[in-house]
Amino acid sequence: MGLHIVKRDNCPLWKKCCFYFVSVFAALLIGAIILLAIGVDPIAYYTRMFTMGTIGNRIAYKTFMNYLADFVPLFLTSVALSLAFKMRFWNIGGEGQFIIGSIATALVAIKLGGVLPSWLVLILMCLAAMIAAGVYGVIVAALKVRFGTNETLLTLMLNYVALYILIFLMETKQDWNFFLDPEVPRPVPVSFRDLVSFPGIPLGEKFELNICVVLAVLIGLIIYVYLRYTKQGYEINVVGDSAGTAHYAGMKVSRIVLRTVFLSACLIGLAAAFKVGTTGILSTAITDDVGWTGIIVAWLSQLNTAAILFVSALISLLHFGSTIAAATFSQVDSSFANMLQGLILFLVLAADFFIRFRVVRTRKGGSNNG
Amino acid sequence: MKKILALIMAMIMVLSLAACGGEKAPVEEAPVEEAPVEEAPVEEAPAEEEAAPADFKVGAIYINSKNDTAGYTFAHHNGIVTAMEELGMDVESQLVIVDEVPEDKEQVLAAIDTLVGEGANIIFGISFGYIDAMEEAAAEYTDVIFSHATGYKSNETNFNNYFGRAYQARYLAGVAAGLKSLEVGNNNVGYVAAHTTDYAETASGINGFALGVQAVNPDAKVYVKNLGTWADEVNEKAYAEELINSFGCGVVSQHCDSAQPQIAAQNAGVFGCGYNSDMTPDAPQAHLTAAIWNWNVYYGTAIQAAMSCGEASNFVATMGSPAYYGGLAENFVDVSPLSENCAANTDVAIEAVREIIVSGEWDVFSGVKLQIAADGTVTTVEAALVDNAGNEIVAAGGASVEDGVITGTMNYLVAGVEEV
Repeated sequence: MGLHIVKRDNCPLWKKCCFYFVSVFAALLIGAIILLAIGVDPIAYYTRMFTMGTIGNRIAYKTFMNYLADFVPLFLTSVALSLAFKMRFWNIGGEGQFIIGSIATALVAIKLGGVLPSWLVLILMCLAAMIAAGVYGVIVAALKVRFGTNETLLTLMLNYVALYILIFLMETKQDWNFFLDPEVPRPVPVSFRDLVSFPGIPLGEKFELNICVVLAVLIGLIIYVYLRYTKQGYEINVVGDSAGTAHYAGMKVSRIVLRTVFLSACLIGLAAAFKVGTTGILSTAITDDVGWTGIIVAWLSQLNTAAILFVSALISLLHFGSTIAAATFSQVDSSFANMLQGLILFLVLAADFFIRFRVVRTRKGGSNNG
Repeated sequence: MKKILALIMAMIMVLSLAACGGEKAPVEEAPVEEAPVEEAPVEEAPAEEEAAPADFKVGAIYINSKNDTAGYTFAHHNGIVTAMEELGMDVESQLVIVDEVPEDKEQVLAAIDTLVGEGANIIFGISFGYIDAMEEAAAEYTDVIFSHATGYKSNETNFNNYFGRAYQARYLAGVAAGLKSLEVGNNNVGYVAAHTTDYAETASGINGFALGVQAVNPDAKVYVKNLGTWADEVNEKAYAEELINSFGCGVVSQHCDSAQPQIAAQNAGVFGCGYNSDMTPDAPQAHLTAAIWNWNVYYGTAIQAAMSCGEASNFVATMGSPAYYGGLAENFVDVSPLSENCAANTDVAIEAVREIIVSGEWDVFSGVKLQIAADGTVTTVEAALVDNAGNEIVAAGGASVEDGVITGTMNYLVAGVEEV
């Protein structure tokens, strides 16, 4: 008798969902045990987390607006990353592309805000961010296509290049540096929200739905259609499955890689434009780690655009809700959200194993000695 | 296929670690005890205790974790908790905190929304970069009090700022360092600084310390290394070593978060002055004394004012000023207990200087200098305050520079200080 791992032929969708549900539940359970160990009532904590503390909150509408503001960049970045990942191009450079997009957005907003009509500036901000981030991403794709360099390393390292450019801009108090507030003797980023920012759609008395939420979901829908029903989307899938096959089938693999990576980085730039264009200010913490978290979301979603919508909503909820819950429990700090996120990731990856394979008992000698 | 999956898993593992900077499970957090930080002498406070309504909530926004056990956030958290306990408040139910909030306006505003939603009546923000978010929120939530550490913005009603005369404490530490430099016969003193002239806070700290050193040892030279950031343990250590090895410094002071410069001093067999908390336990053979903050002094005052002022809009009037700027006199800043490493008569000299500062007859940045003899006796002499480029800041006998300069525009280093 022994244990043997056998590949599953096909796992029905409902079964997959069950596996994922169980793994998320198990992660929450482990989290609950840890909470109990430090003397926190897990039910009270999770209730606050999943309701984001909105029960009995006099400014609950703000909570929802803040939640959506977290959700939009994460969702768009995850969609963008999934495009590259589908092609097995490991774009770890979401952070860097987001930062470059943010700087481009701020540049246009500061220089053109108030000069040109607002709607035009907003469009230019988006375009600038997309092109800047797109170029920043496509450099790596070009190097890979031309010289076979490792894109994981290069995108990863370019994150730090971008980050230090941003830190330099945020901390260098000089006359030329228009990213900083000229009125203040210290290096403080200048706010350009009064010059130009994305409008909100008033719903109800106080709640405002930022137009970026609508646009982001719309873009998600377009990417879904693009991947499923267009020739280019098909090409991405083929290149991902086997570059050799794609080549044999007459596809121009290099061009597909360049195009898709550019698109991926463009979308991350757009996410940055949405964020910076709404808050109207830069900071060294502008990414809020979306470039990293986006990788996790894309992977948890199995690179499925529809699933990304739900997973990024869940991860944002987890992150945002956990911060709010931690505010009232002195033993828990905001790291708890990161830990839960890590737990969920590991357990979903474990579940993935059981979706792809199953463990069976085998009898010594096999079955052919009848 | 399997290989790729493995690769991805490895990748994600590395990334999720990198992304979260090492996720820490919040296990085994020691209940906050105020062991290593100085406390104000316990005053007979309980008289006002009935003024603590059970539904009054204190909110706080921290730059690092509220479960830290050392450093800047820890010092503030400790101050708030101590002050609330002294006021007879229940910390567990009356204190709400959003921690690990970076200096990003949107994230600070979201944190404020969270705290307001939790019913906070007064919100403390401890990091300078929260300034614009707090100003904006104070205008939006007029029924909540906002109080910002290290900032310079305020309004007439519900928004103030608070900071302390750390330069006075640093002057005292400088006296200890100066006496030590005389004892060991080495005029080179080092200073690992987070920033130098970019920030008035750091410039005034360096200058206060240097003037304290010079009051004892007029020949002393203070070498400053600029970290360019508020916390960087690796360079804090490396710069201290450079000051000791390349510039021959026999005493190393610091304006940075960790005790690394003190540890470096101990390893090299020289001495040092810490900052923020008593660093004698970190470097028992090297540490002399540290300039420290008693944040609970302010937090107690502010929370009490917030509870008694009725409407939030009366807060600034109740505090008497939109900018709280306490010093040695209020016991808001101080030096930690002198270690056995201090030179003889350090205690006498420091007490004498403290008395002069507390009495209000003299302050550090003026046209009068103190001369401190080796036996600790203090005499005053009129002498101009000159920067290290030779410009006269205050003429001999002139009055002290204004508080606004010390908190806002001081962008020079005094004579005898060299940035290296």
